Amino acid sequence: MHGSSDRSRLWIRVFAAPIVLAAATITGLLAALLWGTVGQYVAWVTVGAPVLVVSWVWVRRRTQKIRAF
Amino acid sequence: MKARTVRLWSVVHTWTSLISTVFLLLLCLTGLPLIFHHEIDELLGYAPQPEAHAGAARATTQAVADAALAADPGRVLQYISWDKDEPGIVTAFTNSAVDGLPDNTTVRAFDAVSTKLLGPVGVGPMLIVLKLHTDMFLGQPGKLFLGGMGLLFAVAIVSGVVLYWPFTRRLRFATIRDSTSRRVRWLDWHNLIGVVTVAWALVVGLTGVVNTWAELMLNQWKTTELASMVAPYAGKPPPTHLASLDDVVARVRQTAPGMEVAFIAFPGTPFTSSHHFAAFMRGDTALTARLLKPVLLDGETGEVADSRALPVYLQALLISQPLHFGDYGGMPLKVIWAALDGLTIVVIGSGLYLWLARRRKRAPGRTDAFARRTPVPS
Repeated sequence: MHGSSDRSRLWIRVFAAPIVLAAATITGLLAALLWGTVGQYVAWVTVGAPVLVVSWVWVRRRTQKIRAF
Repeated sequence: MKARTVRLWSVVHTWTSLISTVFLLLLCLTGLPLIFHHEIDELLGYAPQPEAHAGAARATTQAVADAALAADPGRVLQYISWDKDEPGIVTAFTNSAVDGLPDNTTVRAFDAVSTKLLGPVGVGPMLIVLKLHTDMFLGQPGKLFLGGMGLLFAVAIVSGVVLYWPFTRRLRFATIRDSTSRRVRWLDWHNLIGVVTVAWALVVGLTGVVNTWAELMLNQWKTTELASMVAPYAGKPPPTHLASLDDVVARVRQTAPGMEVAFIAFPGTPFTSSHHFAAFMRGDTALTARLLKPVLLDGETGEVADSRALPVYLQALLISQPLHFGDYGGMPLKVIWAALDGLTIVVIGSGLYLWLARRRKRAPGRTDAFARRTPVPS
């Protein structure tokens, strides 16, 4: 029982962020199609979220490197 | 997940990716400029510009048709279309015959008010990019082949998500290991970019696959729905003279109030029967503007013969198009689409690099931490 709950917690830790980003992306893709101009604004934020995450990781690594140097 | 299961998924991921790699790179690289094809065409002078006519009444459809035929003597009209984003332009498609080969079609833009010829449409370097992207200049077989590559891409994505768990479960999300080898760093980037773009890549990949089936779907509609719509006209010869297009437009507007004409297909073209005009109507919301409704009209009298909603598979095709092109959310969405396309190129390129690096390190007598990176079963 204990092992199973640990495993669930680990699974959530690994997949929580990807699932949230996937849900955001799908929401944004449909929003621009269904909700007109408001949907477009939603899409810019949510479909752009994966790009922001990758950019953030890249910038974080760069700044860490500069600090270490 | 058992070690054997991981190995099996790994084989699926490796080979579905490898087989499709070259074609996916082609699709991503050609897709990138296609996202901005309007802007590029405009920049290179291949986008017809309407004349300025403040508040002037639009020319009648028949006048545009006459202008199109005068501009292309000896040929026939196949379609007349109206782009909702370009209200000052009417586009006419002419060919040597109504059922002429698509490659022989000439597409020209006319001013919606003066009917002046504004220039050809769909020419220039972007046409080459488009042909490479859609069928690699191989016609329908090329389209279906690229659709198959799209399906392999989808399997590669799904297997990649399955493998994400054993490869990253000991790491925090978005960890890029710095202290280890370059290959491990690229593995971390591959996993991170792949998993955050998974939904977009699946949607764009699968909608691309659906688009490759467009002609098959159209043929299915013609042999089923359209055939039953024109059944009462069975045996009637093609019209000897055509009804006035102004009558056709007036009648379809009465039949489908609140909708506007997206395009009219002339009798004998692939979108209708040999005896009927087909007017494809669109709504005015973001969604209904993409869901066309066909109205069939007698080619000689212009009387409405039938009107039915398109079947679900054609509606799915029409909805899948914007989801593939990314052209429905303004310039910011186009830029995001391009960035995601670029990230997909990185995922494909890094996947290829990881496979090559792993092969090199698997050579007899040479092993390192990366070569032994098979994850611990859980």
